[in-house]
Amino acid sequence: MKLTPFLLVLPALAYVIGFAFFPTIEAVYLSFQDPHGGFSLYNYEELSYFNLSGAIIDTIVVTIGALAIQLALGFLVASVLAREFFGKRALSSITIIPMGIATVVAAVTFSFVFQTSGGYANTILHSLFGLNVNWYQSSISSLLVVMIADSWKNTPIVALILLAGMSSIPKELYYASAIDGAGPIRRFFYITLPNLRSFIGISLILRGVQEFNIFALPLILIGEHPPLLTTLIYDLYTTTFPEVGLALASATILLGFILVFSSIVIKLSGGR
Amino acid sequence: MRWWTYLGAIVVGIYFLFPLYILVLLAFNSPKYTVLAKFPSLLPVSLTLNNLLTALQGTAFIDPFIKSLETATLVGIITIALAIPAGYGLSRLPRAIAYSIIILLLVTNMMPAIVIGIPIAVDFLKLHLFESVIGLALAQTLITLPLATFILQGTFSSIPIDLEHQARVDGANLFNRLFSVLLPLAAPGIAAAFLISWMFSWDEFTYAILLIPYHSTLPVTIYQDVTRGNLLAGIAFSLIFTIPVIILTFALQKYLRGEYLAGGIKG
Repeated sequence: MKLTPFLLVLPALAYVIGFAFFPTIEAVYLSFQDPHGGFSLYNYEELSYFNLSGAIIDTIVVTIGALAIQLALGFLVASVLAREFFGKRALSSITIIPMGIATVVAAVTFSFVFQTSGGYANTILHSLFGLNVNWYQSSISSLLVVMIADSWKNTPIVALILLAGMSSIPKELYYASAIDGAGPIRRFFYITLPNLRSFIGISLILRGVQEFNIFALPLILIGEHPPLLTTLIYDLYTTTFPEVGLALASATILLGFILVFSSIVIKLSGGR
Repeated sequence: MRWWTYLGAIVVGIYFLFPLYILVLLAFNSPKYTVLAKFPSLLPVSLTLNNLLTALQGTAFIDPFIKSLETATLVGIITIALAIPAGYGLSRLPRAIAYSIIILLLVTNMMPAIVIGIPIAVDFLKLHLFESVIGLALAQTLITLPLATFILQGTFSSIPIDLEHQARVDGANLFNRLFSVLLPLAAPGIAAAFLISWMFSWDEFTYAILLIPYHSTLPVTIYQDVTRGNLLAGIAFSLIFTIPVIILTFALQKYLRGEYLAGGIKG
């Protein structure tokens, strides 16, 4: 084995280890320290007063919901863009716009769409059905608002990855199965899905991890009510600074969830 | 079959354009029909530039805007400087080793910014990097570096190794080979990596609010304006914030492709 390629990788590796691994270990380590510098579960016991379990459940709900929406829409977008039709180039340009829109801007825009009094979503519902919905009345509908806003911003990445996967499937497979009499639905389940396994895996990991970390959107759309793990961490951080033990303890819990999630997805998508 | 495609295309088009349309309405419609209305109008009924003008007058957005520009550009440069050698190195390493290094890089990408950000903020306070663009850029590079390395590893892998052997036979050393053979061929991938790094960092909020909470970048400023009820300023800044990226997105559209995002997945 030659040494040069390895030496070239080293700076990037050192950077990431220095800036990500050590602070993460520091965070986990400090989360087990009580205010007197002793080693204990003090921070984790304190956390039970801050609706931690609610935040954990909300985070899981948002992650699963947003992933489901993004995969479904991503498949819709990718299967439209996989065909030839008039205006395809224009549509693929439109599709990547949300990637360029800052999360904060998306959050601000959607906060006006789902305004409590009025709001654009209600304008439409009101003129069609005479309805006026308070989107923030229950925690599940608040979380739904977060999921919708997030899916708008992030479906394009999923769609692009799925599209790349779809174009890698040999057309002959489809012709052959069409001759054998398989309809579009059967072809989707027996050809498209199995062949896209690793691409679906990649987009699930890429998006799923970000979904657990979702922060700016919920902070702007719903504040800390209901809390997600990230907004709870931030809330604890800003209210207790310069004591950061509680924030770090909840951060450690978030880290645990992400590690468990990614190992599950890596297993399911067959490693590679 | 045709019919379904067009229906799908229209649904997809509306879905992606609607929020942008709303943002434009909010920016250019009179507040009476937007933020103050019980049911805001879906049509541009009273177009005006007053919203933007009043919002931009006297409010400090230039400084945050420049900070955002500086940070994103700095992140792009640091990322590319580290990711080109790393991506090239990985593409020439044995597969098993390259694969485990990539996994290691991607795992760090999974570490939540909010987990890393808090200890870094405490450390930066001691190092006088708190409230500084350089400190922020150093942290945000963590998000972009693994992705850029992944993209460039895929790009360099797709360059036939024979081209390099030939240059080597002609007596070119590593740096000559890099600059005369590899980099020109890898230019599209490098552009994609830079663009994605720039965009991810332009957008970045978590590290910004943790590491520069007081005189921050534009995303944090927008957040603060909106939460303090300074709605029109928030909307105007959102629009200003969006324009450069839309231009950049369209200019470099051909590089924004799933093949790059999926990196070495096929390679």
